[in-house]
Amino acid sequence: MTQFLAKEGVKNLHREGEKLITTHCCYCGMQCGMHIRLNEKTGKVVGVEPRYDWPVTLGKMCPKGVTAYQTVDHDERITTPLIKKNGQFVRASWNEALDLIEKNFKELQAKHGKDALSVYGGVSMTNEKCYLVGKYARVALGTRFVDYNGRFCMSSAAGGFMKTLGTDRGSTLPWTELEHTDCFFISGWNAAECHPTSIQWLWKARDKGAKMIVVDPRETQIARLADVHLDIKSGSDSALANCMLHILVRDGYVDEEYVNERCNNFEEMKEMVKLFTPEYTSKITGVTVEKLEKAARIYGQSPRSVVMFCRGIEQQSKGVDNVCIYTSMALLRGQIGKFASGVATVTGQGNGQGGREHGQKADALPGYRKIADPEHVKYVAGVWGIKPEEMPKAGVSAYEMFDEIQQGNIRAMHVMCSNPAVSAPNTEYVWDSFRKLDFLVVSDFFMSETAEFADVILPATTWAEDEGTTTNLEGRVIRIRKVKDPIGESKTDWQIMKAIAERMGRGNFFPYENVPQIYEEFRIATKGGKADYYGITYDRIDKEDGVFWPCPSEDHPGTPTMFKEKFDTPNGKANLAVVDWQAPAEIPTANYPHTLTTGRVVFHYLSGTQTRRVKFLMEQCPLPYAELHPELASQYNLANGDKVKLTTPRSSMVVDVRLTKAIRNDHVFVPYHWGKELSINQLTNPALDPTSRMPEFKVCAVKIEKV
Amino acid sequence: MNKIMYLEFERCIGCRSCQAACRECGGHDAKERNYVEYVDFMESRQTFPMLCMQCKDPACARVCPANAIQITPEGVVLSAMEEKCIGCRNCTFGCPFGIPKFDFEENKMYKCDMCYDRTQHGISPMCASVCPSDAIRFIDFDEMQALRRRRTQMNLIEGKKPSEQDKWQYVPEFFGVYSD
Repeated sequence: MTQFLAKEGVKNLHREGEKLITTHCCYCGMQCGMHIRLNEKTGKVVGVEPRYDWPVTLGKMCPKGVTAYQTVDHDERITTPLIKKNGQFVRASWNEALDLIEKNFKELQAKHGKDALSVYGGVSMTNEKCYLVGKYARVALGTRFVDYNGRFCMSSAAGGFMKTLGTDRGSTLPWTELEHTDCFFISGWNAAECHPTSIQWLWKARDKGAKMIVVDPRETQIARLADVHLDIKSGSDSALANCMLHILVRDGYVDEEYVNERCNNFEEMKEMVKLFTPEYTSKITGVTVEKLEKAARIYGQSPRSVVMFCRGIEQQSKGVDNVCIYTSMALLRGQIGKFASGVATVTGQGNGQGGREHGQKADALPGYRKIADPEHVKYVAGVWGIKPEEMPKAGVSAYEMFDEIQQGNIRAMHVMCSNPAVSAPNTEYVWDSFRKLDFLVVSDFFMSETAEFADVILPATTWAEDEGTTTNLEGRVIRIRKVKDPIGESKTDWQIMKAIAERMGRGNFFPYENVPQIYEEFRIATKGGKADYYGITYDRIDKEDGVFWPCPSEDHPGTPTMFKEKFDTPNGKANLAVVDWQAPAEIPTANYPHTLTTGRVVFHYLSGTQTRRVKFLMEQCPLPYAELHPELASQYNLANGDKVKLTTPRSSMVVDVRLTKAIRNDHVFVPYHWGKELSINQLTNPALDPTSRMPEFKVCAVKIEKV
Repeated sequence: MNKIMYLEFERCIGCRSCQAACRECGGHDAKERNYVEYVDFMESRQTFPMLCMQCKDPACARVCPANAIQITPEGVVLSAMEEKCIGCRNCTFGCPFGIPKFDFEENKMYKCDMCYDRTQHGISPMCASVCPSDAIRFIDFDEMQALRRRRTQMNLIEGKKPSEQDKWQYVPEFFGVYSD
């Protein structure tokens, strides 16, 4: 017998003996609304129901979202603490595991100082947990070395937005407005595979006649339908974006009034972009002059436009520059702060937005405060109940932590909710660093490639076994609800951090009994910061379908559209980019004649720890592959399905060939979701952006050999 | 149930959510009953969803010697009734779209039943519910008629129609109304 759950006229199938729990997907920044089906008798998660009334996704889900529930009661879950003895993991009690951690942490700090410990966080966790990671490192362990995997994901966008707009909120507009947009300028975003449920908004706008320009070395699912597909050489984005600025200025598409009133550096920018004529840019980017002209014309003539970008332009050693110039495109047209217009970067991880705002970064404190600012330190120290001088100084970025390990400065690490053994660039170096550590603790719910290096593995929970808030890619703060109790002896990350803090004698700073208590402290910690969550309560989130930050007080409506009146810079004006083009850190040479670029497939999430364990997803895409243009393949006599050896100055790997004309004929594309010998990140370049410290995953030189 | 499944191939982004969701339907035993194919991966990333057409006069039912394939009053063509099905697989050969499949382990035929447990109550089938690009939609018959009419009108306004040589040029401008 079936019944229906009706909310505001939306019906859902509700099976007898089951409970529907309203929550959001655990994967990407879209945070699609969904109901989890729980069998009331067995207490097991049995399926999923679309959540038709969630305004951002309207019930839509990608294959990862549909199958996400299958990880919750998965056979391979780690259910007890594990301690490595003679190279083998042995089951242990929580007490044994925590004793060992306490002993090692204390000994190492006594011998090498507080900074011998380090914490490596992640942004697939709730805001509450992300906030606690920063506090845990600085208050419980007293170390300055804390950073997170968002360094590989969002930091260039954050750096670019901070420079140009003064505040980093991924999207300056709510996505429900996108269907009214007239033009999408999309760069380095494979929307269909990375954020499939965003497509409905693009297609809805297209139905109304919206234009679409896509910049990508591959003819992606959206590029195939674009009005103009700019098939760019990887790593030349800043030239292309400067060329767009050049044409906008040259042909009078600039919103002069807006620029005069609200932007700095217009004259300097005009001077800089003079150089980037379509002819000059065409030589750098490999895109024809006609396409460049057409793209700029369409963008310039559109009354309401959105510039959108993603890892394609950000995961470069000049990622921040790229973000600044693309953002300047929107500024020149006067689009930021208007209805259905603006600029947006798209977060790859579930809480990529919230997770980067609350002090997990090496140099940041909650609410986007800075360790370098004594006032900020004073405020947060006050909330935490420590003295300002106790606050450790800024640490180093995620990849640089491995350098610190190599130099013997970091002796132990606690990795939470992350798998750098797959997701970091130049992974052989990372593996070597893990081997060099005196002591490694990993909290995870599956045996990840990183966990295999661990001395102690602590069983963490999935998203369905805890509650809290996350911030989706629009900047909308939403609620994740607890579906069921944790499996086995697993504990949530906040309980793990609390337990270790107690062992380190700092338990009085972590008095939490439940998540709402953490959230209350978190709200106060963000109060007055750039990312101000103070006015957002759980009740408001439920009633208002999420609340957009900044929201400084409980009677504040939240901020769906950013920068309506002024920007968050000292003089209230945005800074237009005055940035020259620079080549990628590694360009093709005689020995390594082609360009390697990496990315996602729709069936897998990040390092694949979760999705590689879901049967349906593995059936669709079990192994990595190298996508090659048939012209390039013919040079090496390669056919579909052949094996090819790819080599960069760092390492090499063997993968299957997949031929398609939907890629530039001088590029090779390989998805990155697999570990060990299947990890393409063995080959990628760890050159870092000078501002964001983000590695250059998206472009390096590669050699091809038939196997 | 005056609703129909409406497919728009250009909108398909090849994510196979529809397949994943189909496995979640009641009684599907984690086997999908719809499919997504590449037109020609060598040429383009264009994919298309393949669903049961719920034919008015279904070949699968016509060729079934045991009358095992029932059609509901709403016109939904169901999987073969287990007690009647003799496992001859005529239906799998008869369907021009390759929709019915035969499960050799369970010894029974299965096919898309348009999520009858949902659609009989006016709730979208799982595939149409989750399809992130609206390539599969479960809409009113009138809405479908309007979409088709709009396409014809657009062609009339433009006074032209695509030819084999320039068909791709039409896709962006006529997107969403070009095909059905």
